[in-house]
Amino acid sequence: MSEPMIGSPGTNASAGETAKGTAIAAKKAWRAHLARGADATSAIRIGVAASFTADTLVPFIGAALLDEKTVPAFTIGPYNQLFQVCLDPAAALGAACDVIVLLWRLEDLMLDEMTGFVAGDATALARARDKLAALTTAIHQLRSAFDGMAVVGVPPYPTGAAANLLALDNAIGALHRTLTGQFVDAMDRIEGVRLVDLDAVQRQIGLTASFDARHWYLYRQPFTDAFLHAAGRQVARIVMASRRAAKKCVVLDADNTLWGGIIGEDGIDGIQIGDEFPGSAYRDFQKLLLAWRSQGVLLALASKNNEADVWEVFDKHSGMVLRREHLSAWQISWAPKAEGIPAIARALNIGTDSLVFIDDNPMEIAYMRDARPEVTSILLPDEPAEIVAAMQALTLFDQLEVTEEDRKRADMMRAERDREVLGAQISHADFLQTLDLKVDLFRARTEDLGRITQLINKTNQFNLTTVRRTLDEVRALASSDDFRVYGLRVTDKFGEYGLTGVVIIAISPDRRRWTIDSLMLSCRVLGRGVEAALVGGLANDARTEGAVELVGSYIPTAKNALCASFLPEQGFSQIGEREWRLALDDAPAILLHITRLDGKSDGDRRDTQFPAAAGE
Amino acid sequence: MMTARVAKVFSEVLGISSDQVNDETSPDNTPQWDSMAAMNLVVAIEDEFDVRLTTAEIVSMRNVAIVRRVLRGKGVADA
Repeated sequence: MSEPMIGSPGTNASAGETAKGTAIAAKKAWRAHLARGADATSAIRIGVAASFTADTLVPFIGAALLDEKTVPAFTIGPYNQLFQVCLDPAAALGAACDVIVLLWRLEDLMLDEMTGFVAGDATALARARDKLAALTTAIHQLRSAFDGMAVVGVPPYPTGAAANLLALDNAIGALHRTLTGQFVDAMDRIEGVRLVDLDAVQRQIGLTASFDARHWYLYRQPFTDAFLHAAGRQVARIVMASRRAAKKCVVLDADNTLWGGIIGEDGIDGIQIGDEFPGSAYRDFQKLLLAWRSQGVLLALASKNNEADVWEVFDKHSGMVLRREHLSAWQISWAPKAEGIPAIARALNIGTDSLVFIDDNPMEIAYMRDARPEVTSILLPDEPAEIVAAMQALTLFDQLEVTEEDRKRADMMRAERDREVLGAQISHADFLQTLDLKVDLFRARTEDLGRITQLINKTNQFNLTTVRRTLDEVRALASSDDFRVYGLRVTDKFGEYGLTGVVIIAISPDRRRWTIDSLMLSCRVLGRGVEAALVGGLANDARTEGAVELVGSYIPTAKNALCASFLPEQGFSQIGEREWRLALDDAPAILLHITRLDGKSDGDRRDTQFPAAAGE
Repeated sequence: MMTARVAKVFSEVLGISSDQVNDETSPDNTPQWDSMAAMNLVVAIEDEFDVRLTTAEIVSMRNVAIVRRVLRGKGVADA
């Protein structure tokens, strides 16, 4: 029934040429950067060590990071000395690195074993596994000697003389599968190691287009620029995901974005969504949106339509995968879409710069970019068959750790809407009483540190000092006796908010002063008395451990005005321009309706009912 | 006579000005022409002139004059 597609010009025919052009442009950008002598301004130092000549990879990692406005400087490790690099990274890579990238190929590390395996040597596989185990041990050792991020390559499919790709028994294929599977499993068990899948990059580029035998024989550098370009971008993507907050919400156009056609003109029977192309392409996009949602990305709608028409599609069209309950906010009207953006952000308690706007209409995109430059606006391809691939390529939602809170966020936002409905019906004080709020302030356990690091790096608004930290830094603080890393979990009768607060305390050498190094709360839990329970809990613990004062500071940023009065509101007295102090004998009032649960490290929980504060 | 295209490739990859590029330019008198630059030169020359160099040609290219001779031998008129 659908008409045959006629390929739009400039999509596939010139893709190879374009890729070559961007690879050349990337190298030029990096050369220009070096020519400016800008190394000194670098924000991140990356050590690269490989079982092959890695020098030609560096410009591509560098250019991809410059594109993200991050200035790297590189140290290249000695050729094919991964073990030495792991055992003594400082000696092999010089100055302290923030990131170490380790890349290797099977044929560089275990060529004899590969050859033996192909020849039917029964011991070859066991010997190859032994070498893999030795590499795993070395990477373990690297993790104890180096507290930055280790990015380790999954080896690509062997190439060149070692490969004989189309041999009828495909012995090398079997060996590669076995060994990479074992290696990936082993790496998954080492904390702080990130995999960069060079096997996947090689598939993307194509095995033949990835390998240059001349460069291998002449320079021990096996790869083409096409491969190096893609591999460099993938390394940069991992580095950026560790340093940048993921976007939190995607704001979607409806007509010709979620379905083909225009509901207001074509009607519910005329739009295309379902099993048949092009409806199937839109449905696959909807499935991708649900996958994003399960990673913690909130879905919202910004559509110029009659609201009833849009809901008719959501509620009644059998081809829709996306349902109304999947949406966390919407603005459906004939007003300019940019005008609805603040309302969406407000409803979700996030900044407008956490929004990604997706629309098929270049005019809408241009208008949004002009009116709301802080929103990331993405034009949907007008070829339906290309939508999913283009959207999968977005890196805006990249997160290295997807936590339980992320997975539940969208559902928790629905519970939030239900709470607001209840809140509107009764007075605020009564509302708090009926919420049955429980606040659990607990010493962070190892399994909490991923989520805690995420909060540290993405909380902008209710954040007293806005100190950002890596997972390794947080881990170090959590195991130090001079610091306390607390998590805060909030529950009410509608459900769990999850781990939504972090406090880091620095304890003075005489143990008498607890200083709030960092304190942040997710906006979702504010205004319910959680703030007071938090300070009460901290004061309690500090007092128990013999401290006499709790000191905190407020460092203003462009975004954290929300917590400017937090410390004075909680009974702290000002002792400096930005410093505030709470004497611990002035016990802070704990609100009646707050129950604090003390999570203990063994998982047991002791309920503590705080005394009612006077006047509550 | 040095052609603009050849001068451009060498000046970009080696990070030297194009009037510093002449037939005698070689790794011996140009410290920027190190092994990394040699790799990059091969890729840049192939991209710019749309040719494919053999390993023998790559190994032989020890100054700019030789590179130009190789390119002219491959039918590149303005090398």
